[in-house]
Amino acid sequence: MHIEKHLDVINACRFCFMCRHLDPVGNVTFMEADTPRGRALIIDRIHMDHECLKNQDFISTMYRSALSAANRYHCVSHYDETALVLAVRRDIVEAGLVPEKVKALAEELEKVSFTVNGKGDILYYGENPELYSNCMTISGRDPGKALEVLGFEKESKKIFGKFKSAVTDSKCKTLIVEEPSAYDFLKDKFNNVKVIHCSEYLLSGKVNTGSARKAYYLDSDFLKNYDGNISAPLELLKKCGYEIVPFGTNSEESYSIGEGAIIYDDLNPDLCEKLCRRVYGLADNLVKDLFITASRYVKNTLKKYNSQIKIISIEEAVAQKKENK
Amino acid sequence: MITTKNYMYEMVRSELTWVVGEDYVQTTDSDKLGHSIDYYWVPELWHDRGEKLTPPDFVVHPANAKEVSEILKIANNHNIPIIPWGGGSGSQGGALPVYGGIVLDMKRMNKVLNIDPVSMTATVEVGINTQHLEWEIEKAGYSTMHFPASIACATLGGFIAHRGTGVLSTKYGKIEDMIMSLEVVTPTGEIINTLPVPRHASGPDLTQLFLGSEGTLGVVTKAVMKIHPIPESRKFHAFLFKTMHEAMSAGAKIMTSRLRPCVIRLYDEPETAKLIKRVLGIDKKGAYLVFGFDGFEKIVDLEMEQACAICREREQEDLGTEMGQTWWDNRYKFFYPPYMFHMPQAFGTLDTVATFANIEKVYWAMKNTVKDNFPQAVFIGHFSHWYEWGCMLYARFIIDEPPKDPHEAVALYNKIWDMAIRAAIKEGGVINEHHGVGLKLGRIMKDLYGPAFKVLQDIKKVLDPNNIMNPGKMGFQGKGA
Ligand SMILES: Cc1cc2nc3c(=O)[nH]c(=O)nc-3n(C[C@H](O)[C@H](O)[C@H](O)COP(=O)(O)OP(=O)(O)OC[C@H]3O[C@@H](n4cnc5c(N)ncnc54)[C@H](O)[C@@H]3O)c2cc1C
Ligand code: SF4
Repeated sequence: MHIEKHLDVINACRFCFMCRHLDPVGNVTFMEADTPRGRALIIDRIHMDHECLKNQDFISTMYRSALSAANRYHCVSHYDETALVLAVRRDIVEAGLVPEKVKALAEELEKVSFTVNGKGDILYYGENPELYSNCMTISGRDPGKALEVLGFEKESKKIFGKFKSAVTDSKCKTLIVEEPSAYDFLKDKFNNVKVIHCSEYLLSGKVNTGSARKAYYLDSDFLKNYDGNISAPLELLKKCGYEIVPFGTNSEESYSIGEGAIIYDDLNPDLCEKLCRRVYGLADNLVKDLFITASRYVKNTLKKYNSQIKIISIEEAVAQKKENK
Repeated sequence: MITTKNYMYEMVRSELTWVVGEDYVQTTDSDKLGHSIDYYWVPELWHDRGEKLTPPDFVVHPANAKEVSEILKIANNHNIPIIPWGGGSGSQGGALPVYGGIVLDMKRMNKVLNIDPVSMTATVEVGINTQHLEWEIEKAGYSTMHFPASIACATLGGFIAHRGTGVLSTKYGKIEDMIMSLEVVTPTGEIINTLPVPRHASGPDLTQLFLGSEGTLGVVTKAVMKIHPIPESRKFHAFLFKTMHEAMSAGAKIMTSRLRPCVIRLYDEPETAKLIKRVLGIDKKGAYLVFGFDGFEKIVDLEMEQACAICREREQEDLGTEMGQTWWDNRYKFFYPPYMFHMPQAFGTLDTVATFANIEKVYWAMKNTVKDNFPQAVFIGHFSHWYEWGCMLYARFIIDEPPKDPHEAVALYNKIWDMAIRAAIKEGGVINEHHGVGLKLGRIMKDLYGPAFKVLQDIKKVLDPNNIMNPGKMGFQGKGA
């Protein structure tokens, strides 16, 4: 079983309460099962008795995790509870026990192709190509991360294979990625292509500052908790003249709405709405304030459950400064 | 316990759903497992050895005191146990549903309702996680000054129920000093409020009756607690003494000379050698003493100077401010894996409080009892909550390889507790200081209290005629009896 590669995590987390306060799902369902300890206990049970893998309650708990990785980031020993959940999802898939809804989503995610347009040696993968006038663009949906996160390793590799061919054929030297989940997935996957987050690219260029504007930056699960909390997004926003105000009570708190689980809103819409409501509740003035996020998923999902929120992506924040020049 | 196959299960479930809504009545295997194990070593061991645990029948998440009241009425009607659950981080098995029943998970009641900057109090729903609480209060510019190692694990209600304490207890008090008043739902479902101020002469203090009652006398739903300004300065200093005795005399002198440190902590020689080295990287032989002061910088500096002078009157190595600050910065690290003791080790915290006149006698009595009777166990300890009259001994025993058979392991575990605790009580120790009684120490209560325990039993009988509230805990009658 894949979970067996994570016995250290099972043993550490199953009786540990130290990061429960950061589990976004536990914070809205209030269920012990929706904390790293709760999930590790279940997985420990499965490890002791493989028959337990068939338990529908256990399976649904594993697909309820938002995979924010805030826990791992916080943990002084950085035990990787997120990787443990991903491992058990793979075990569920490989044992043919995956819930119908997850299966249907996976099938949908497999229907993807990638097309490259333009010329040059920089390739942009995102939704705002107008900011990258000298770059080629690659279009297409998720490059395999969502399938990987659902536990469909083989299928994920297949999709990534298609993406990789398109990138390799383009002969680019640099790949700029907008969506943090894709950036996280792709960043170590190429030998001859440098993968960077869009904020890093934009920061290295010329940006317009315009007049100062106050904005709340919502941390990205991926950029903060998975990818070493890269400084480029905030530096870029500051360079553009945004006065960034910390969101919520504390920089350690997790306001995840399922970005780490990529398609969380499709998988658990009710729960996702609860996560969003928690974020709205923590805002100082939801209607008046401006929010900036690195993630398109976060932007779209927060807008979906309350259209009054003024939320834009980092690229849109940069573009707005251009327009206001 | 109601079996899920019984139609009564559905009848009770419908009643509960009627009160809190479908989303908030959990009967899944996932949640039942999570609520079968708290931070008590025995259920952890049971799980570790693949033994069957005792799950609750229902896990219910009430939204307010009214819903709690309705649920208690249902429980009385059907004579079903109610077990309040906060974060499940209690180390005494207090929140375990040992007879099945309804686990009342309080975490949904998690709001800060009001901050009163004039009186410096906050009104809070007690299901709030204490780290979230602290963050919210800090955002408003204040602090609860409640910094237990389990700040991120536990709820305010759990601390109230166990008379818990935080690192800064020496200045800011234990939870019972921090609370102004409580809203409580009594076992029969009445919603009551205790008097709004903690200092009065209007009869015995009801607030203090519920503080430490561990869910046996009712469900605490709301608390008004003190909040504090963020101090201008907080500074630390550490010393290394040749012996624990010398260090203890310095610590006691600091307290009895009425200086007001916010914290003092003293580690015995074995714990200094083991944990201070492992967690803080301070590799020294002797007894490590650290203390801190906070408040206005001028006063902090003055008090610090006096406290350091007391230490320097004795033979010591001055470790300076940095090695004191290191302790503060890493104060929670001790509790994370792999620094914390863990399975398959057997370990327990024999926390005991006594006067300065008795505390070292208590230490040696416990240590010798463990050493002489249980050669397989290691005894270590530190002194962590200090008062004007004495302090608390956070003694621990650790067995690296407990018996394979879980029954034998628990029997050994209990035997160590029994002998060590009795030895401590004989020397004037009180078990215990902030972890509570729960399931773990229930059997000691009669010995500890003597005839006075009947007073507690009578109060319990009057308030909870059907014995639905957390039966079998704190030495009170179980449900099967
Ligand atoms: C890593 C770690 C470090 C710790 N450090 C400390 C420390 O520094 N200081 C300290 O004091 N403790 C410490 N503890 C112990 C534990 O955190 C405390 O005992 C805490 O008070 C338990 O709170 P909880 O919310 O987790 O309660 P639970 O464990 O859920 O419940 C404890 C008891 O309280 C009752 N209860 C819970 N909520 C209510 C309510 N609303 N009304 C009535 N009864 C209720 C339960 O029935 C049970 O009897 C530590 C624990 C861990 C895991
Ligand atoms: S991730 Fe770290 S802090 Fe969280 S439960 Fe696991 S060991 Fe504890």
